Amino acid sequence: MSASAPARPGGRRRVRVPGVPALSAVAVGGVVAGAASLDFALANDGIGPELGEPLVIASIWSWTIVAYFLGGMLAWSRRPASRFGPLMIVTGAVCFLVTLSWTTSDVPFTIGQTLDKLPTALFLHAFLAFPTGRLEGPLEKGVVAVAYATAILLEPARMAVGEYGPHNLFGVASAPAAFNVVRDVQLVVLAGCCLGGVAIIAIRRRRRGRPLRRSLALLNDAFALGLVMIAVFFLANLVDAPAVAQIRWITFVVLGLAPVAFLIGIAHARLARSSVGELLVELRDDSSAAGLAPALGRALRDPSLALAFWLPEFETWVDIDGRAVDLPGSGDGRATTLVEHDGARLATLVHDRALEEEPELLAAVGAAAAIALENGRLHAEQRAHLEELRGSRARVIQAGQRERQRLERDLHDGAQQRLIALSLELRRLEEQLGSDPNARSRLDLARREIATSLAELRDVARGLHPAVVSGHGLAVALEQLAALAPVPVRLCVDLGTRLPEDVEVAAYYVVSEGLANVAKHATATSARVDVTRSDGRAIVEVVDDGAGGADTERGSGLRGLADRVEALGGRLRVWSPPGDGTRLRAEMPCA
Amino acid sequence: MRVAIAEDSVLLRDGLARLLEDSGFDVVAQCETADELMLKVRSYAPDVVVVDIRLPPTHNDEGLRAAITLRAQHPSVGVLVLSQYVELGLAMELLADSAEGVGYLLKDRISDVGDFVGAVRRVATGGSALDPIIVSTLLARQRPDDPLGQLTPREREVLELMAAGSSNQGIADKLVITLRAVEKYVSTIFAKLGLPSSGSESRRVLAVLMYLRS
Repeated sequence: MSASAPARPGGRRRVRVPGVPALSAVAVGGVVAGAASLDFALANDGIGPELGEPLVIASIWSWTIVAYFLGGMLAWSRRPASRFGPLMIVTGAVCFLVTLSWTTSDVPFTIGQTLDKLPTALFLHAFLAFPTGRLEGPLEKGVVAVAYATAILLEPARMAVGEYGPHNLFGVASAPAAFNVVRDVQLVVLAGCCLGGVAIIAIRRRRRGRPLRRSLALLNDAFALGLVMIAVFFLANLVDAPAVAQIRWITFVVLGLAPVAFLIGIAHARLARSSVGELLVELRDDSSAAGLAPALGRALRDPSLALAFWLPEFETWVDIDGRAVDLPGSGDGRATTLVEHDGARLATLVHDRALEEEPELLAAVGAAAAIALENGRLHAEQRAHLEELRGSRARVIQAGQRERQRLERDLHDGAQQRLIALSLELRRLEEQLGSDPNARSRLDLARREIATSLAELRDVARGLHPAVVSGHGLAVALEQLAALAPVPVRLCVDLGTRLPEDVEVAAYYVVSEGLANVAKHATATSARVDVTRSDGRAIVEVVDDGAGGADTERGSGLRGLADRVEALGGRLRVWSPPGDGTRLRAEMPCA
Repeated sequence: MRVAIAEDSVLLRDGLARLLEDSGFDVVAQCETADELMLKVRSYAPDVVVVDIRLPPTHNDEGLRAAITLRAQHPSVGVLVLSQYVELGLAMELLADSAEGVGYLLKDRISDVGDFVGAVRRVATGGSALDPIIVSTLLARQRPDDPLGQLTPREREVLELMAAGSSNQGIADKLVITLRAVEKYVSTIFAKLGLPSSGSESRRVLAVLMYLRS
């Protein structure tokens, strides 16, 4: 059992799951790093008074370091395939390295100070790469690359010309004018990158719609807010705003909140996973095929969820009723998740794109519902077969109908016309013959033979296809049937416009057979024929007042009639309770 | 007497034209389609048209539509519809509100030249001609309490001929009785069926048909 995006043709990537030692090392490393940075801040006087209360700043930094380490560890263990966890761990590690600038040794100070702006680029990278850890488009990649370049290259330049105290190994000269230029460029570019990141997050949300779960929305908000605060902080620095210290605090607190939001998200995902348990119970209690998609939709909290099943035999995707469906393309605002079983395609969940941010939940739900999905697939397959069978029966009957119609026309245009013409010719011959009584009587006999042939042919043609139905409609054709019936018939045809030809012909045969049965069941003294249209269905009813109790099972007439009606997607029923007449009713869709 | 023919089978069209010409008709137009017929009726002003109920292009109801349109637009032109099936429903559609100058016969009838030519003449002069099958269908129709049972066989014969459109003279000729006798039968029949006796012979056709159909 596995779930993966079906769009990826190359199959599954091999993912190395981090082991316990690696995860433990990250956790321990994070705690040690946090403690160490706290120690740097307290043991040295590296934090100048312009940064505010050393203990507060150091605590917030330590918290950020530990939070990113632990959040990264959790993310890594939960989603080994995603690079988001390692990216968070790296971010935490770099945040720790930055605190080396609080020490008073030359090399650590220089390293720490050189990396001073790198966390900004890393935050931007991580926030934009959530949840896969990969940057999707060229815009994202560009913004992050500019941020990295600015953070890595311009800081040493600043250090070369700026006043960084005695431990700055890069110090070349003090050139305040040059320093200001480099600093301004660096801050403006980084602030711009951060605001660009906020714009990208906003665009994404607009495109994908609001996330289904509030924790995800919260996480996105935390990301966006963090980036806004970095930008505000840098710009405040640029103009030497009075409240720079407070802005710095707030920025760090907000950045420290992102992993918290992430942890809340994970906790919520766990809660969401509890819905998998509910799903299992629900699927056990309601095993109907129709209930499957709604149940999965509830478990994933996506009411729009739809299912498509793969039928290898038909090489197509179908819905639960076996009707072919197209999977949404990439531009449809819908996402798909393929569910496989033993390496074979089973079904595809068609869901809200927001669910793409919760691949484990999708996988868990897919796995939990595997058996139910397999049942659903079988159901769909059965329906598809049934549909195919119905279609082929309809085609067989329709082909027969067309063939009979063609034969009727051939008879009409051919033999019947020729016989009439022949009869006319004989009449002319008779007139030219003079008064040979023997020849005249033989000619007369021949003409009578032709007349009989014509009458017989007419019956044959009528038996093949009631041309009057296709030519003039059901109402006109039924008039004759009703008039020829063995009992008085009250005929009521209320249709408005004409019915489709197949339905008209079937209705004609229903009435014909119904009235023929009235004749057979004898005791009837009157009958009623009603043809109406209701809710896109044509309803044909033949009711007599006879003794009822007719054997409705026997008789190929009724069976053939039922075939014809059912082939059109309709239904034929007969009621014949003893002593209460017989009622033949056909319903056929005629929309 | 001027006649126009609409029939898509060449064989039959030629046969019909020859038959009518031999019987003294002036065949002014021979058409293959209903549209052609409509045009030629306007140009040649025939007294009567003989039209096949099934005409191109669909061979469904083009002929019948043309006949109904002609009756509405050219009431003075008699319309005789020929068909290889006679249907009560079609007769009713054709005779919707008048039996004057209209006929509906099985195609086979054309080989009974005498009767057929008589029918064409009748229709041309405002009378009617209804196929015996239609009449017998109507007479055979089951009714809850059948007043037709009160008719004598002779009266029934007269009724049949009357319903088929025969004039009193036509009935007298056919049954070899006097015109006076026919008139007596007719009034007896109307009385027995409870129908008001009406003047014109074609009007009484419709009255009888409506009575038989109900």
